[in-house]
Order: sequence, then structure tokens, then C-alpha cells
Amino acid sequence: MNYEETKSVVQEKFLSSERVTAFLCDAKVLHPEWVKKDRLLCIVEYGDEKAVFCLFTSSYPPKSFTDLSIEIVLPIDNTFKCEIDNKPSDPEAVLYLNLQSRNNKFKFEIQMTPRVDNFVDDLFRGIEAVSKVPTQPEFVWLKKYHGKDEDDIITQFSVIPRSGVAHAQNSAPVAIRESLIKRKMYDKELEYTFTKKFTVFCGTWNVNDKSPVIPLEGWLSVDREPPDIYAVGFQELDLSKETFLFDQTFREDEWYNAVINYVDRRAKYVKLEKVRLVGMLLIVLIKQKYISHVRNVVCDTVGTGIMGKMGNKGGVSIRFDLHNTSMCFVNSHLAAHVEEYERRNQDFRDICNRTRFLQPNQQAKAIKDHDQIYWIGDLNYRITDLDPNTVKQLIKDNNFEKILEWDQLKQQHKNNNVFAGYTEGPITFKPTYKYDPGTDNWDSSEKNRAPAWCDRIFWKGEAISQLAYRSHPALNISDHKPVSATFSSSIKVIDEEKYRKVYEDVIKQLDKLENELIPQVKVDLTEIDFGTVKYLELQVRTITIKNIGKLPVEFEFIKKLDETSFCKEWLIVEPYKKCICADESCEIQLKVLINKTSACKINAGTDKLYDILVLHLYGGKDIFITVTGTYQRSCFGCSIEVLVNLNKPIKDVPVGKLIELENKRDQCVSNQSTYSIPKEIWFLVDHIYLHGLKEPNLFEQPGLHSEVLQIRDWLDSGSVDPIPGSIHSVAEALLLLLESTADPIIPYNLQSICLKASANYLQCKQIVMELPEFRKNVFLYLCEFLQEALQHSAENGLDAKTLSTLFGEIFLRDNPNQIQEPQSRINKQVIDKKKAQFVHHFLVNDHSDLIFTR
Amino acid sequence: MAREFDHLFKLLIIGDSGVGKSCLLLRFADNTFSGSYITTIGVDFKIRTLEINGERVKLQIWDTAGQERFRTITSTYYRGTHGVIVVYDVTNGESFANVKRWLHEIEQNCDVVNKVLVGNKNDCPSRKVVVTEDAQRFASQMNIPLFETSAKENINVEEMFLTITKMVLRSKLEMKERQNVTSNDTVNLKKNHKTKKKCC
Repeated sequence: MNYEETKSVVQEKFLSSERVTAFLCDAKVLHPEWVKKDRLLCIVEYGDEKAVFCLFTSSYPPKSFTDLSIEIVLPIDNTFKCEIDNKPSDPEAVLYLNLQSRNNKFKFEIQMTPRVDNFVDDLFRGIEAVSKVPTQPEFVWLKKYHGKDEDDIITQFSVIPRSGVAHAQNSAPVAIRESLIKRKMYDKELEYTFTKKFTVFCGTWNVNDKSPVIPLEGWLSVDREPPDIYAVGFQELDLSKETFLFDQTFREDEWYNAVINYVDRRAKYVKLEKVRLVGMLLIVLIKQKYISHVRNVVCDTVGTGIMGKMGNKGGVSIRFDLHNTSMCFVNSHLAAHVEEYERRNQDFRDICNRTRFLQPNQQAKAIKDHDQIYWIGDLNYRITDLDPNTVKQLIKDNNFEKILEWDQLKQQHKNNNVFAGYTEGPITFKPTYKYDPGTDNWDSSEKNRAPAWCDRIFWKGEAISQLAYRSHPALNISDHKPVSATFSSSIKVIDEEKYRKVYEDVIKQLDKLENELIPQVKVDLTEIDFGTVKYLELQVRTITIKNIGKLPVEFEFIKKLDETSFCKEWLIVEPYKKCICADESCEIQLKVLINKTSACKINAGTDKLYDILVLHLYGGKDIFITVTGTYQRSCFGCSIEVLVNLNKPIKDVPVGKLIELENKRDQCVSNQSTYSIPKEIWFLVDHIYLHGLKEPNLFEQPGLHSEVLQIRDWLDSGSVDPIPGSIHSVAEALLLLLESTADPIIPYNLQSICLKASANYLQCKQIVMELPEFRKNVFLYLCEFLQEALQHSAENGLDAKTLSTLFGEIFLRDNPNQIQEPQSRINKQVIDKKKAQFVHHFLVNDHSDLIFTR
Repeated sequence: MAREFDHLFKLLIIGDSGVGKSCLLLRFADNTFSGSYITTIGVDFKIRTLEINGERVKLQIWDTAGQERFRTITSTYYRGTHGVIVVYDVTNGESFANVKRWLHEIEQNCDVVNKVLVGNKNDCPSRKVVVTEDAQRFASQMNIPLFETSAKENINVEEMFLTITKMVLRSKLEMKERQNVTSNDTVNLKKNHKTKKKCC
């Protein structure tokens, strides 16, 4: 049963609308509980949807669709994955296919045959097609195949161990690439080969247990020119029991030496190989000058005798490659007896099926896998339905044609029962069997057998022409006469120069293919300028990544060497990682937001609005994306020590001057400074003091973000207009400003002392006394202001507890650079309480003594 | 034999912006040339398989952005490189003057590495400003082979890549040899030691 027939059986298992597009016969599913059982794998297409089926077959190959049962169904959808592994020890013969769909994983072992390429190609076409479809296929048609088995079989084997094939991803394309090279080179064979005629001599003789007591040149050396190749086969070399049982005979050497002695003496020959099974011997010789062009000489024997196994009948074969042509010689002795022609046909088929030429690192070859096949031997077909005497008379009249009509082999060959595809030349010689040994007389025994052409020569392959086909009756020691044929055969010779060029072209083509499969994207913008960026004002830019390659591509923004994050802290990239299907695009948002942390760094000159992002494509290139912007400096994020020294709006302060001040802020001395507290704080406090002390929900109701931004600009530009926005917005701006200062009002190193002392007002006062001057000023100034605000609690609804909690958090900021131990919520509450307690003292007690010490 | 390659080498192309690094790669890997200039923003690679003395060598050739601002990032791609191709433009003296900096960059970021110096755009004698003699003198001083190429006219490109590949291959084989010799030495020493003992 051939591939197409099997395929049609598999097709019958499915509906006609469900088309089997590819299948593999010899797959094995690997699972602890289904150990290496033979399965069929096929890909079935229904409309645009495809699925992989694994079928169990009760007879191999399946004869009818009833032999098949569906075991595994894997829809090729977005979840479908396919990985190919080579078995490291035997990379050619076996492939491992890991298939995954919807969390079901299966591993299959597959014999490496040319069909595998088709199958894998079809599989990848399916995967690629799915990746292009925007909507997930529904696979409604598969429901009938799942049935109740789905839960039983499919889901229960969800994880299959990967049996130690570690470097799967690297080795996966090897086999495919390698077989592609082979196939392409085969396709282009004509481009790098030319043909050269070789003469091939084939001889066969059933020697009927005789020793070579006569010269053989009348058989082996009769042609005008010495042949290039000799293939000489013998049958019934030795009929002794010992030979049959122990397969040993001295006759092998006798006949081999005889052949060597009597081949054409005008040329020098060397043995390529000889092979014997019991009485069958095949010797192949070649002219010495050609031996260097012969490779891969392998032989095999097949016994088809007693019990279909023994070597009294069967075939011996030798194969080799001469230049770029593969040649195979078979010498066979088929079953005897007139009526046993069916048996002989069967022997032929058995020899064909069972002969295997094993070569290291290559798939075993059969007889049919050769460019040229020469089949010789005592094939034992007889003349039926003709009376022996009639036959003998016809022979006497040289009327062979009439007899040949009754030749079993001609009849069986014509009906394609044997030697299908082979050719035999016209027979113009007398039957070669059966003679009285030592004479040219027909068998005179009582059996009175009809003469027959038992000894024959067939060939198969292109560009072979027979030059002669004859018997050699003079060699009469046996009851058979030897037969020989000479051929003129075209051998493909490789032109090394052309071969290299074609090979290089093929490699280049594959490289090109591989280069085309490297992920490729187009990014519409690689330089993003955000222009002027202001404090707390979010800005968004969008870039588009388009997949212009042939496969889905996964991208990710990756970290540069020695960096902890792939971008600066003021930048947000969304999404930073994603998969894009072929021909599709993905929009990426880049957002810039300068908050207090980044503002402080930018003000101090340790950071700037400049970053290069590395957009990495998995398995492909990296693209650099440059992000720039100009930060408009603001009083937010400056140090108190810097702000007290600025006698003009920050907008008018040169950037360099600001950086310089920030870096020298520790040396800030009171008597040289312009103000005792930052003017920006004063503006905001004064505004609330004048216009907002009686505002209900002061400090509790949030302001409007847009107004806060207006207030920011008002402060930074030193505007002479009234402060914009509501009291609540001004209050919020004040809180944000206090929170954004580069250093907190109470330095980080004093925080733990403050918390410890929080229960004791005197100690708290002591600490405040020791604060750096300008922070102390700000602290006391604000406390005084808050006390004032509390005076109006009836209107504004404030109470000391709320305010101390709010400002405790602002005055005693946690150090963001210190690695915080994960605080429990209770612990955090305790700390917050202590912060509030600390501030509370200064909201309810008169601390004017602290102010007057100044 | 099923083998995709016997050796896998990583080559790196560096040099000033606009000297034709991408064009050299395109010529070598795809045998194409495009006159329009697209500056490389990032790091790209292509592969090509060569057969040298019967050994299959797969090259992964990385093309880097030449722009100054990317220099710190591109230097991180030097790791694991077997061979570096330093390119200048024969019609641009500054790009030749900068070769020293690029060589320094290699020293900073690579261990032992094979190098070739390539003067590209060698297809218009009237515009050539870096004369061969000067380049050759410099290359000899640095002990680096010099190639004057044209990706546009496909002059010397194949030869240049072939040379650097052969250099890398030779280095690898020599290294292997040295390792073998060293291990042989160890065995010999042990043997000597034994015989001495016997003598005493």
C-alpha cells in the first residue's frame, strides 16, 4: 500500500469538507503510559481552520478507516506551539516533535523521511495563517471529535517531560535546513553534473555444485572492449548440507579466483565487493582507474528459502555510488518447480522489501532507492502449457517467439506481478536449462523437463541501453548455461567547479531565507522630543512599531548594561513588552512625568531629560530610541536653602546657577541669604492667611490640578498678578511645595530621635532648636500659621489633631533612599501617630520663646 | 552528515557614522546595495554561511550604530565577539582619524580579538582623500590587515570578510592546538616523574 492509498484511507476517517493536507505514518507518541506506540499524525483542514490529529491504527498500514481511531486532537490556534528536537546521538534518523495546544502537550518521535518536510511545512503554514487572523478560530467542527474523550484522554496528560533534550531551540532548524540543502542539491543535479558512458557486464550462472574446472573467458571476456564494471552472479555454488547449515564453502574462493582470472585481460580490475548467501555469490569488479570515484559500498543478503528465511533461495545485493549515480546489483535464486511461479513472484517481493543497505548516519536504503538497478539470477520461471517435445522442436526451428509466449516470467512481468518497472532485453538465445552436464543435449532424465529460460537479466533506471544479451552454451559443466548482458549506462559525473558554485548558491539562498526570517520591525519615530516639560504635568507621545517581517515578533525594552531599569524614572513606557503578528502594528505610549524625586535630581544636575531606550526584538536586532525634553525649572523640588537665596523668580535664574546653588546648599549661611524663609512659601501662606483662614474644610478639600499648575507658573514666573485659583488650590500647592523640597524640613537623620521624643514636649523643643536654621524658620513659621488657623476652627472646621497628622507626614518625611523594612500596617500607624504627636505639641503650645531666641 | 555548521563566529562592524557599515553587511549577506542612506539606529545582524577548507562556518555579523551618542550603548555589544571590522570612509579624512578611537574601544571591551581595517567607498579616485600608503602604514604599525573596498561596486568585500573569517578560524584552531599541547605536557611531566622515582 503506497502513500497515496494510505492517505485516502485516512481521508475517509473525516468528512469530505475536512481535507487531510499532510500526514505521517510512522510517528510514535511518547508518553509514560503510551510507550512509543505507533501512531499516524495528520493535519486536517476545514475552511481556514487546521488541526493536528493523532490516530491509532489497529492494523498497519490501515486498510480501512474502521482501523483508525482518533486519540488526540490539537487545534492549530493562537495557543498552538510546535518545537522540533533532534535526537543528539542520531540526528538524521529521528525527529522529536513537541506539539502544544490549549495547555495540552504531546511529544512525538518521527522517522526522518522526505514526508516529514511536507508535514512540518504544512504545520508551520497553519501556525502562520493563524497568527494573521485577527479573530480566534472557533473550531466548531472539532467538537464531534472531542466527544467525551476530551476529559479522559486529552486533559489528563497535560505535561509531558521533555526527556532531556536541552538545546531544543538551537538544534531545531538543523534537520530542516540540512534536508533542504539535500533536496535543493538534488533538484539542481543537472546543473553540476554531466553524463559519462560506462559499460556494465552482468553475468549469471547456476553452476549446479560444480567447481570451475573449465576456462571462463568464453563467458566473461567476449566483448570488443573490456567492460568498466563486472557484476557476476552464481547460484548453487555448493549444494552440500554443511554449506546450507553453516554457510561455509571453499567454492566461493574457487569461483572468485576463476572470475578474477578470466575477466578481460586488457584492463585492470579491482574488487568492489563480493557477497554470498549459501549457494548465491555476487562479485562486483570495477576498472582500477574508477575505484576512487566509488563510495558507500554496502551489501545485504535476504533468504527466502525454507520457512521463507533460509538461504537456499533468496537474493544477495551490492550497492554503491559511482560518481553521482547510485547503482545496485542483485543476484537472486528464486523458488523452483514449474507450478510455483506465484512463489517466485513472492520471493522477488520479499527480496525487494527485506533488502536494507545500512550506512552510518544515513537512512537505510532499499533496492528501489537507486538510480540504476541490475537484477540477475536463476529466476526459475518455466514454460507452461507446452509439451516438452513441441518446445524442443520449436527451438530447433529457432522459433523462440512462439515459446516465449508461454514463458511464465514474460507473462508475470507483463501483468506487473513481478519486476514492475524493470526491463528485459529481447531473448535471442536458446533456453539455458536443462542440459545433461558436459553436453549441449537436453536433459535426458526420466522427468523429461521442458527446456526453460531460467537464467535472466533485468534492469531498471534511466539512460541504460543493453548492448548484448546472450547465453554461452560452450560452458557446459552445469545443467544450466551461463548468461550475460552488457549495458551502456550513463553515469552522472559531478563537475566539482560547478558543484561548488551550485552548492554555494543553495547555501546563499538558505542564508537569505534565514535572514528574511529574522524579525524586522519599522519604528516610525526613534527620536522623541517632548519639548518643554513642566513639573507634575504629564506629557504623552506615541510611537508605532510595525512588524514588517514574516513571522510574529516579540519585543521588549531591555535594560542597558549596569542599569536597574530599562528607562529613567521620569519615563513610563506602555506596553514595554508585547508580541506583534506579521503585518500588524503596536502603538507604544511614552509618558513623561516629573515628580519631586526626578525634579530634585534635575535641579541638582544629576539627571537630565535625556534617555536612550533599547528596543529589543527576540531573535533579532535592537533599536535605539532617544527621548529628550527641556525641563522648565520650578521652585518645586528645590532645597529650602536654595530658595531662600533666590531673589528673583526661578524662571530668571540661569540653569547653571541653580545647579551650583543646589550643590552648595550645605554651605548656605544665614547672614548672606536673601530671605529667612523661601518667598514661595511666604506667598502661599500669606495668601491663605489673608483670604482663607475662615474657608470651610481648609487643607481638607483638594484643589484643582489645573489651578495648582497655574499657581506653580505664578510662583516660578514671579508674576505681579494676584495668585490664581481657589483657596483650596493654594493650600494644596503649599502642601505639594513643602513635600517636594529636596530635603525634608526635619532632616532624615533626626527623624528617629523625633519619634522617640514625641511624647515629651521639652525634648521636641530641644530638637527643633537644633534644626538647620532655614528649616527651623520654616517649621516655626508654619506652626505659628497653623495655630492662627486653629483660632478659626469654628469656621474652617480644623482641629489640631487633623492638622498635626497632615503636617506630621510633611515635616517628618520618610527617606526614600533608605531601604525600608517592610512595615506592618500597625507599625506604620504607630509611626504616623508619633509624627502627629510631635507636631501636635507645636500646634497647641506657645513656643514663641523659640522664635525670640533668634 | 547532519550539521548546520562546524563553527559559529560573531563578527562586529564598527566605525564612524556614514562610512558604509550597513552597506558592507548588505553586500556580503544579501549581495545587494542601496544608494539611499538610512542611518542605523541600533544594532542589527545578518547571517551568512561559508565553507572554508571543508569546514562550515556560520557567521553572525553585527552592524552597529556609528553615531557618537550611541557609543556607550554599542560598546556593550562587543562582548563575545570573535572578529571586529573597523571601517572608515576613504573620502572622509576624519573617519580615518577616528579609527584610533575605535581601536581603543575594542581594547576596552574585548579580550583577544581579530581585526581588519577597511577603507570603504573606494570607488571614486577623485574623491579619495585617505591615500592607500598612509592607511597601509598605519595598518602595518597596528599589525592589522588593510582592505580598501567598495560595497557599491562590490570590490574586495567578499575577500575582506573571507580574510577576517579565516583569521578567526585560525585563532580558534591554534587555541585548540595549544590546549592539546598543554595537556600533553602535563602527561609527559608525570611520566618523567615516575621514571625518576624508578632510577632512585
